[in-house]
Amino acid sequence: MAEHTQEAAGGGADFDLSQFYEIFFEEAGENLDQMEQMLVGLDLSQADDEALNGIFRCAHSIKGGAATFGFRDVTELTHHMESLLDKLRRHEITPVPQMVDVLLESADASRSLLARHQNGGQGEVPPTAGLVQRIAELAAGNVPAAVAPAPVAAPAPAPAPAPVVAAAPPAEPLPPGVRRLTIHIGPLPQPELADALQDLFRDIPGLGTMTPLESAQTDRRSYDVTTSSSNEDLLDLFVFHVAKELVDIREEAAAPAEDPLAAEEARAAALDQAAAQGRPATPPVAESESYGFFHEPAALAPAAAAPARAAAPAPAAAAGAASQSSLEATSIRVAVSKVDQIINLVGELVITQAMLAQNSRALEPALHQQLFAGLADLDRNTRDLQESVMSIRMIPMSFVFNRFPRMLRDLANKLGKKVDFVTQGEATELDKGLVEKITDPLTHLVRNSCDHGIEMPADRLAAGKPEHGTITLAASHQGGSIVIEVRDDGKGLSREKILSKARERGLNVSDSMPDSEVWQLIFAPGFSTAEVVTDVSGRGVGMDVVKRNIAALGGTVDIDSDFGRGMKVSVRLPLTLAIMDGMSVRVGDEVYILPLSAVVESFQVQDDAVSTVAQGAQLVKVRDEFMPVIELERLFQVPPSVDNGGSGIMVVVESEGSRAALLVSELLGQHQVVVKNLESNYRKVANVSGATILGDGKVALILDIGALVRRTRH
Amino acid sequence: MHSILAVDDSPSMRKMVSFTLTGAGYNVVEAVDGQDAYEKAQTQAIDLVLADQNMPRLDGLGLTRKLRENPKFKTVPILILTTESSDQMKQAGRSAGATGWLVKPFDPVRLIEVIQKVIR
Repeated sequence: MAEHTQEAAGGGADFDLSQFYEIFFEEAGENLDQMEQMLVGLDLSQADDEALNGIFRCAHSIKGGAATFGFRDVTELTHHMESLLDKLRRHEITPVPQMVDVLLESADASRSLLARHQNGGQGEVPPTAGLVQRIAELAAGNVPAAVAPAPVAAPAPAPAPAPVVAAAPPAEPLPPGVRRLTIHIGPLPQPELADALQDLFRDIPGLGTMTPLESAQTDRRSYDVTTSSSNEDLLDLFVFHVAKELVDIREEAAAPAEDPLAAEEARAAALDQAAAQGRPATPPVAESESYGFFHEPAALAPAAAAPARAAAPAPAAAAGAASQSSLEATSIRVAVSKVDQIINLVGELVITQAMLAQNSRALEPALHQQLFAGLADLDRNTRDLQESVMSIRMIPMSFVFNRFPRMLRDLANKLGKKVDFVTQGEATELDKGLVEKITDPLTHLVRNSCDHGIEMPADRLAAGKPEHGTITLAASHQGGSIVIEVRDDGKGLSREKILSKARERGLNVSDSMPDSEVWQLIFAPGFSTAEVVTDVSGRGVGMDVVKRNIAALGGTVDIDSDFGRGMKVSVRLPLTLAIMDGMSVRVGDEVYILPLSAVVESFQVQDDAVSTVAQGAQLVKVRDEFMPVIELERLFQVPPSVDNGGSGIMVVVESEGSRAALLVSELLGQHQVVVKNLESNYRKVANVSGATILGDGKVALILDIGALVRRTRH
Repeated sequence: MHSILAVDDSPSMRKMVSFTLTGAGYNVVEAVDGQDAYEKAQTQAIDLVLADQNMPRLDGLGLTRKLRENPKFKTVPILILTTESSDQMKQAGRSAGATGWLVKPFDPVRLIEVIQKVIR
């Protein structure tokens, strides 16, 4: 586990709270994600209570956890967010876009603060003072922009022109328990902020009264207050508007001793003292309010000692209550490493099973009927087990999709574009490892669509299109792959522009090239079709990296474009990186695995089809197309097999649009292989992407087709 | 062994409370919100309820009111975990039928102390 910052050393004497940090970080991250989603989806014109409560609860939860685990900066920032959200959900202020903005920015800042703690205090501290200030102003009903609607609550009345003279407070006797206070607040950069305190007294029943007094200094406010609340309670309320340090509370008349509330406080304090007896130090005054009882606990003890054991019959579980929390009640959180360990073990089991199956072939079925029945069961159970275990690692694409609404909102605002975002197939599942790796390339594609695809609103209207552009992100399963499409209804790719740009860059192109090949040109390094370089999509670095990253995951990218109507980028990925469909080939006495997805065709070599060109390189002619030949035997320095009489077999493979022919001795078959990482178990080997264990227990290397094809270009 | 129903929608708080109380020799039943807690309380013997106030579906005071309707829970202590200790909160807690309150954040030692005052 990562080291954590010193200031986070919360907790009691014998308790190490740090063991809960990771779970808190994860939970806070989820809360921030959820808050962000709800904020982006919030309809300000008719914000519903449920949404506002939900957002409030996210901030509240983070604050509570951060306070418990001692992350003070996070506590403070989320406290301010919570205060603003609390006013919103109570309809004390009207939601305006600036609030969503500042809350989103604050969520970002909270994320950075949390990340810093998670990294043991490494990294920059994001500035939060400005955010806090903006939140406070918005919470006070001060909306900076002129267009903002007036807050629902009547603006705090300006200090009464003729306030009650300070020196002459009303003379009637106070009811028991009520104190008269003079409260001075300041210095304040914006003294109006303090006027919101009067609203508190107006809105909270039983809090008391607050009357403004004339103040000599313009940056200060003074009030005459009657209340039965304690100073701490008042400060807790005031802190929503002004910092505690700025509040000076002075008592004018002592509270009568015999009042029930004070008596209760005293009782709580007494209890507290009793609790403190076992401890060396008396708890500080502030702590005496950290808990309390409405009834004397001793009176409850006998009842508690005889607990109600009568268990009522379980009520039928409410059907359809599939809320987040009930989902949580029926799910468990497990570290990914534990799941991976199970996957590895199942991988071993699959290999053992294959080994048993292979060895049993030598046996006579009639004599070993029971053994064969058992092996058939083992085969079936192993496969089911493997599928179930793999499904644990699968997570829905919504995990990736959810980050886009916020990103697009910010991006569209920055570019002055209007973009609607549509997602389809969020429930489509993909291996967690792949999800993490596909996020960046997808982000790049979505940014490109917004930056280069979608036109400015005026241009769209001029072209007879709706003002709002639409970007669609769709995921679906197709066979053993997942296909993710990024579609937009923007201007599409211009064939002419791409071709002329390609010529400029000295690429070999012709006007008769089919569209599909023209579109692939944008994946060439340093190629950008955008006329204006923006700070959004950068300087043309991108599409080539996107393509390379996707290829590294065993995926492919295809583009379809209709000029003036929009474009579609389709990313096709295998469902998991842990299991692969492979073709096993023999080279000499060695067995290698080719990813089936890369294999195009295979054929028996005719001697005259192979021609040798400069530096001993060989080319084979396949249907009028010459392609480079890679002799695996020579490349991997495999000793020639004794029975290698034939001229061998060519397997045509494709990667990144280029093809090569691999010369092998024999095709052995197709099967699913469990991919073992070679780098983590041994070291990186050129032209090899991994290894697997075959049914007979031998290790076979999985070839890196991308690397092999690339070598032929040099 | 006394059973405590620990109710909080935050997994980290739940885990922390559960770890602390288990370490102090209590049997802990966890619930993710008021509704979940109410359902669990019907089928299990509970000696004390420790409930967060702000939760989805059913909050701490809502849970308290609902539990108090059941004669079985008339006298079971219910402590509310809250971030504020204002008079308003106390008033609301008292009228809902809660036994007491504990302000968040609290440290584990304080939590055990408070619970030991209520069940011995």
